[in-house]
Amino acid sequence: MTTRRTPLLFVALCLAPALLGLVVFRLYPIALAISDSLFNVVKGDTIFVGLSNYLALFADSAFWKSLQVTLWFNLLMNPIQIALALGLALLYVQKFRGITLYRILFLIPIGVSLPTAVLIWRIMLTPDGLVNGLLNVGGLPAQPWLTSEGLALYSIIAIATWKGISYWMIFIVGGLQNISPEIYDAARIDGARAWQRLFYITVPLLRPTLLFVLVADVSINFLLFAPIFMLTQGGPADSTNVLMYEAYKSGFIFGDMGRAMAIIVVVVLLLLVIVGLQFKLLSSRAEAAA
Amino acid sequence: MKIWKSAAALGLVAGMLTTAALAQDKTLNMVVIEGGDTTAMKAVVDSYVATHPGIKINLQSYPFAQFFQVAELRLRSKDKGVDLVYVDAPLVASYASRGFLSEIDKGIDVSTLVQTSVDAGKYDGKQYALPINNSAQVLFYNKALFKAAGITPPDGLTVDQSATQKDIDALASSKRWTWEQIADAAKKLTVKDGGRTTQYGFSVEQFGELYQLQPFGESLGTDVISADGKTAEGYLDSEAWTKAATYWANLYNDWGVSPKGLGYGEAAQLFTTGKLAMFAGGTWNLPILSATSVDYGVAPYPYFEGGKALTPTGSWYIGVNAASANQAEAFDFAKYLTTSDEGARTWFKSLNQLPVFKPLLDEISTSADFDKFPQNVFRMGVYDSLNTAKARPVTSAYGQLQDAFRSAFVDIANGVAVADALKAAVQKYDAAVTRVAQ
Repeated sequence: MTTRRTPLLFVALCLAPALLGLVVFRLYPIALAISDSLFNVVKGDTIFVGLSNYLALFADSAFWKSLQVTLWFNLLMNPIQIALALGLALLYVQKFRGITLYRILFLIPIGVSLPTAVLIWRIMLTPDGLVNGLLNVGGLPAQPWLTSEGLALYSIIAIATWKGISYWMIFIVGGLQNISPEIYDAARIDGARAWQRLFYITVPLLRPTLLFVLVADVSINFLLFAPIFMLTQGGPADSTNVLMYEAYKSGFIFGDMGRAMAIIVVVVLLLLVIVGLQFKLLSSRAEAAA
Repeated sequence: MKIWKSAAALGLVAGMLTTAALAQDKTLNMVVIEGGDTTAMKAVVDSYVATHPGIKINLQSYPFAQFFQVAELRLRSKDKGVDLVYVDAPLVASYASRGFLSEIDKGIDVSTLVQTSVDAGKYDGKQYALPINNSAQVLFYNKALFKAAGITPPDGLTVDQSATQKDIDALASSKRWTWEQIADAAKKLTVKDGGRTTQYGFSVEQFGELYQLQPFGESLGTDVISADGKTAEGYLDSEAWTKAATYWANLYNDWGVSPKGLGYGEAAQLFTTGKLAMFAGGTWNLPILSATSVDYGVAPYPYFEGGKALTPTGSWYIGVNAASANQAEAFDFAKYLTTSDEGARTWFKSLNQLPVFKPLLDEISTSADFDKFPQNVFRMGVYDSLNTAKARPVTSAYGQLQDAFRSAFVDIANGVAVADALKAAVQKYDAAVTRVAQ
């Protein structure tokens, strides 16, 4: 009955602006990237080269190293961000004295724009900066946060996490508030402990929210560029040279748009596969559980 | 209400008038580097516009760190909003090979310009860019800090002496300090308080830049890349460059005499506040230093013991965007800027860069106006440009070379092993050359 009464034209009209946006801002750039990746500019002429930009990437050690950095970066950062965002959200919904102050504190990073946050962190992480000053007070030696091969990537993960988690926290808070309190009451009566309530009630019921956060977070972090551009330029020794930065350098510094676009298409494909896997794993289990 | 209405009406009329004026005038747009270069260009533009009614020149300035990307992008997209563009000497080949620049009007007489500089603006035998100025690097030292440390400073030019071209030729050919002498002095001039360095002995002005560091390894006998530009293997990772890069590593790590990662203009700032005893930098620092109370001297750019004295050279050129709709007007301004007496003088006065305009160079060598400090420092530039100047390598992958070189030297200063960093740079450059040559 309901299907027959759906006003198709009205639905289409309502969706049109969003679909138009999707085409203009998402599909068109992807199509453009794919088409540009098939061309090279040689001595002023644009020449069709087929898949040779992709084949060149296979033999390109800089690309493989960059891919490795990108995967390691995301493998670490996404679980950390989601775990911390979940922890913050659980704290956020508690009721105790001074909770308002705590809530304000953890919402601050959302209000700071990313470049501003990155600049502030850069100042704090300089050799003579606040962070090393605190280490000195604690009797520890100063650390080369952004200039050593072993630390730079982790410093960037820390900064991006500081900036990102309160944003994701808000989604999880929304999810938590959707869980009916009666379920917890029933569990308490049955004698479930706090950690049992977390793992057997909260996390399973949060699954749709967590799936969204996971997919959105992974997509954003795969495309993360600003902190690397502003802090390390891919260095030291290419330890923070993620694919997005490698593509930027190729296209905008060296004028090799064909290679840059080929890298971008690889990133998009990689992301599609990862997001597809996440959907398959998480949503099917959610249905089975329900 | 009435006031608002008449104001709005006035605004409308004024707006129409400007639009009408713009329609008659030709407006040229030029991309240029922010700072002193823009100020100097503004001065030349003002004097040009005064005698060329109907022409307006709009300067679009970008910070040094972004300039190359912006220029690359706007030229590649055949942006008609750019008529004139500032071109770094080694990029002429890269731009010209991709058809970004118009061939320079053959009617422009370049016989008043230094021939080697003119030649560096050629690609495939054709002139694509005109030299605006040359550059010279010298060693600035703080006399008071040397005195306080009880060390004899290098022989150089200071405020209380005047010097003829002959005096300076003698100084530059026989009393040039070696990098080993710099290291010895720098160690004694570095002051540490607890874990912090409160006074640094030495620094280069441009941290890790090929322009500034090319003479490091090359003065020991090996070029950065092969003469045909096809590879850096056996060059940038050679024994000579390993020795040079090890010295560089020691400056920042073992000896700890140099501050890491100085940005644009920071060396001069540390120097004038007495926190840096010596720095190797361009003559464009002279007006900045002379405007402060710091008592300084200027010595020739150092070289390695047993090596050959070589100095950085080459600077900015002007080119005309091939996509520009105002070719004739753009060439006329380029001609004025580079080959006219008035244009060259205005530029030199404002920016203090070694000129390429021969009458001005002769004047520097012979006129009594240049006997006194700091004007006589330009005579050191004249000596170096004739005797020790070594141009940057010509390669269509210059951008990649510059980037690979910078990454390697920044990494080395940050503690990455010399051999690893140089090897990585060689790999990056060789891969880029193969890609560009396709």
